Amino acid sequence: MEFVESLQNALPTYINVFIAVFRYAAPVLALLILARAILPLLRFRREPEIWAWLCFDDGKKIPITHWENVIGRHKNSDVVLDLATVSRNHAVLTRYDDGSWTIADVESVGGVRVNGKKVSIHAIKPEDVISIGGVEMQLQPISEKQEKRLAQLRTKASSYGTSFANVVLLSVFQALCCIGYLMTGEGRYAASYLIGFGGILLCQWLLFLFYSFIRRPAFEVETIAFFLCTMGMCAICTVVPGEAVKQLLAMVLGIVIFLVIGWSLRNLERAKMIRNIAAVAGVAFLLATMALGTVVNGAKNWIFIGGISFQPSELSKLCFVLVGASAMDKILTKRNLMMFIVYSVVICGCLAVMQDFGAALIFFIAFLVIAYMRSGSVGTIGLALTGLGFAGVTALRIAPHAVQRFKNWRHIWQDPWGFGWQQTRALMCMASGGFFGLGLGQGWMKNNFAAESDIVIATIGEEWGLLMVLFLVLAVVALALFSVRCAPMGRSSFYTIGSCTAAAILLAQVILNALGTLDVLPLTGVTFPFVSNGGSSMLCAWGLLAFIKAADTRQNASFAVRLFKGRAGAKDE
Amino acid sequence: MNKVAKRAWAVCILAAMLVGGMGFFVVEFTVRADKWVVTAGSPHVYNGDNINTGAVTDCNGILLLNMHDTRTYSGAESIRKSTLHWVGDREGYISAPAISRYASHIAGFDMANGLYAYGGSGGVAKLTISAQVQTVALEALGNYKGTVAVYNYKTGEILCAVTNPTYDPDNVPEIEGNPAYEGAYLNRFTQCTYAPGSIFKIVTLAAVLEELPALQEKTFTCTGTRAYGPDTITCESVHGTQSLKQAFCNSCNCAFAELSELLGGQTLKKYADAFGLTEHQSFDGIQCEKGSFQVAADAVNVAWSAIGQYNDLVNPCSFLTFVGAVANGGKAAKPYIVARAGDSYQAKTAYTEQMMDKEVAALVAEYMRNNVATKYGDSNFNGLNVCAKTGTAEFDGDQASNAMFAGFVADEEYPLAFMVCVEGGGYGMYTCVPIASKVLAACTEILQ
Repeated sequence: MEFVESLQNALPTYINVFIAVFRYAAPVLALLILARAILPLLRFRREPEIWAWLCFDDGKKIPITHWENVIGRHKNSDVVLDLATVSRNHAVLTRYDDGSWTIADVESVGGVRVNGKKVSIHAIKPEDVISIGGVEMQLQPISEKQEKRLAQLRTKASSYGTSFANVVLLSVFQALCCIGYLMTGEGRYAASYLIGFGGILLCQWLLFLFYSFIRRPAFEVETIAFFLCTMGMCAICTVVPGEAVKQLLAMVLGIVIFLVIGWSLRNLERAKMIRNIAAVAGVAFLLATMALGTVVNGAKNWIFIGGISFQPSELSKLCFVLVGASAMDKILTKRNLMMFIVYSVVICGCLAVMQDFGAALIFFIAFLVIAYMRSGSVGTIGLALTGLGFAGVTALRIAPHAVQRFKNWRHIWQDPWGFGWQQTRALMCMASGGFFGLGLGQGWMKNNFAAESDIVIATIGEEWGLLMVLFLVLAVVALALFSVRCAPMGRSSFYTIGSCTAAAILLAQVILNALGTLDVLPLTGVTFPFVSNGGSSMLCAWGLLAFIKAADTRQNASFAVRLFKGRAGAKDE
Repeated sequence: MNKVAKRAWAVCILAAMLVGGMGFFVVEFTVRADKWVVTAGSPHVYNGDNINTGAVTDCNGILLLNMHDTRTYSGAESIRKSTLHWVGDREGYISAPAISRYASHIAGFDMANGLYAYGGSGGVAKLTISAQVQTVALEALGNYKGTVAVYNYKTGEILCAVTNPTYDPDNVPEIEGNPAYEGAYLNRFTQCTYAPGSIFKIVTLAAVLEELPALQEKTFTCTGTRAYGPDTITCESVHGTQSLKQAFCNSCNCAFAELSELLGGQTLKKYADAFGLTEHQSFDGIQCEKGSFQVAADAVNVAWSAIGQYNDLVNPCSFLTFVGAVANGGKAAKPYIVARAGDSYQAKTAYTEQMMDKEVAALVAEYMRNNVATKYGDSNFNGLNVCAKTGTAEFDGDQASNAMFAGFVADEEYPLAFMVCVEGGGYGMYTCVPIASKVLAACTEILQ
């Protein structure tokens, strides 16, 4: 307590020296933290996991490297059988959590025969002979021993030491931020600063300890998320310090959601079941908003219950990712995306009625990614984009506030005292901050509307500099690239689609938030994931992170991927 | 799985859009940030229309204005009043474009650090004017409206440029509808034009000496009037037979009317243009009002235009520069007001084009010197080697004449050109000479 008081009563000289040093130290520290977290994500060696061997008559053996494998003539099949009798996508070989396998005919011409009998789906037993287009083969799952050995041979994702150092660096950064705010901020908010930064610090240590306990040393993705949350906390401490505790609670809840979703995704069958609940919940959230919601800034996207405000559309995003993700056999048999398109139209329709066009656009981008990953059809995407064009025109007709934003786009300097007020102030303040910022708490942006949410990057740019803004953006880009890099080792398309969609949503939000604020794109009231003040947005961001985490198949990397402990079903054998 | 994995690249499109968009912004930022920072309204630099950082001093470091927050002006009322039109008021009625121009320097902007400054913010804008001379000049103007300006024709520094009416920004009077404060928001030195009257004869003289040098030897006879059909050009008295030099000294309208016939309106216009009198002159972000010279269709009006009447208008700053060019061998340093701004701006002397031949400039200077020596009286100027010309711009009706006076000190130590415009001041010689005398004395004191 004495220490806090001494900080609050620090001489101006000490404060000035602190700011002078920290404004350079902060980006350096940030770069160090992010580089340590990002580089392993972008550089890890991509080793396929081998789950089984497919043995042919001629003695040839092909490794099966996913849980879902397409057998077909198409050159991008996982097992290519280049014979006229084989359909382009002929069959899907699927592995389950318990180590059992099935083979499923995916509407092939020639059909799939097991032991001479035509099957549509069949649980493979040892000795079963599978015949596809006249080619006979046998599946030889790796033994438990081999599986264990393979698992051990895979390069480790990260060491406890590295992750520990990351958490220490983060903690140093947070401590310095907290000291800075205690020195420069208002005395009555001391508790907010302490709880805000201290809370994040505590959470990251608890999560790291928990990971150590369950033997998952990789902490890169979490480091990035906690760093973004810290910068968000800085913006809140500058603009609305009274809301620091609220935001911290949202983060704690977000981490809970992160763990719950991650845990749900550990078991693919469980995840597939949850999907149906998610589908209903996704629409229910939006319908509830339509029924009970309040219009804020032209969009009816808030629910106020007992003093708590809430944006259910953020949670709908999580549901949408779950609904959109799909396993390979379903993708190939239900070629048309009709159900998913209808579902997407319902969601976007709800959002249009709520006039929440920012959210609608994000859902649409998620839809595009899902639709493309599932169908591979550029034509479908073209159609969807055309549809968006029409919807957009209609939307602009019925929503004057959206039209105005389009009109203001790239014209903000024509009226810096009128419609361009918010954004010109954002750019003026960012320019005032230069590359290194004016120092924490020294900005003017706190007087601007939505300074800690929709235009948060201007607040950060002003006080922490343009470099810090670029770091924040690149951190999210790194998360997305990580998802893309993980895709080839994906066990199931369910995870890969989920992870890529989650990454796409995060990217879309940053695109709309950052580029909107900076007048590169029209301004849309969208939050910057993890950074913007807003509980619902925080929950959503952590939830999306769980999907990215679930696709991380590096050795001992992800709590959302089971460690090899012996198969559940093995005991019975 | 292979197929789905391959399609994951789609996410890279979004990532590329984001990186591309940010890249676009970074380029925009590096190109425009210095302008964004100083756009009116920029929160760290402005408070409303006013700059809200740094301070303004005179050439000797005397504080004219601390621009932080509510703006603190000089403690002396006389300095507040005499410098108001360069530093601007609180309400934004009087802007200070020269200071706004260097706002980013005053604010201390650089790309890496933005506006960050250890422990505070803001640099100093040092003006070329002297608060002391400003005060003397405003006092000398008394209740007259008008402007008095002095600048160094070798360096371009404006040592003095006052405008009246002015007021105390710390004690703002009722200005609206008050005739005493009519045009109080205007900086008459830069924003006004005046009918020049006889000081325009310097222009005509220079044109004659360049075009028709032989006329130096000729004599002109003044009978008090010169008829143009029903119209006449008149002199106040009959000057009789006189040389060109004497005619200039007598400010003989009839002789100059005759000269106008020899030159023609087009030639006069050519010289008015060449001397920069019909163009906007700019310095330190200030665009001065431009003067005008119309070529009249009839001889009588050509004659009037040659003696600074008809539709002639000159801007004090432009005319001062022209006089500076005469003083400086036909080419003057361009005037400027901001000597230094922050740590990053330091004024440099810029020159006008060669407006006239060196010999012509020397001759015009000699003629102007003769005016002072034989007519205005060297005693008025405390031994300074002053070359000048008075003027009285008459108006139709009851409106009192404007008194004008323009000239320079031909002295390496005091290379000063001056311009005095007194609205309703009557005869230039009686009203302006004492003013110029006081102001030049103050200037030489500063320069010593």
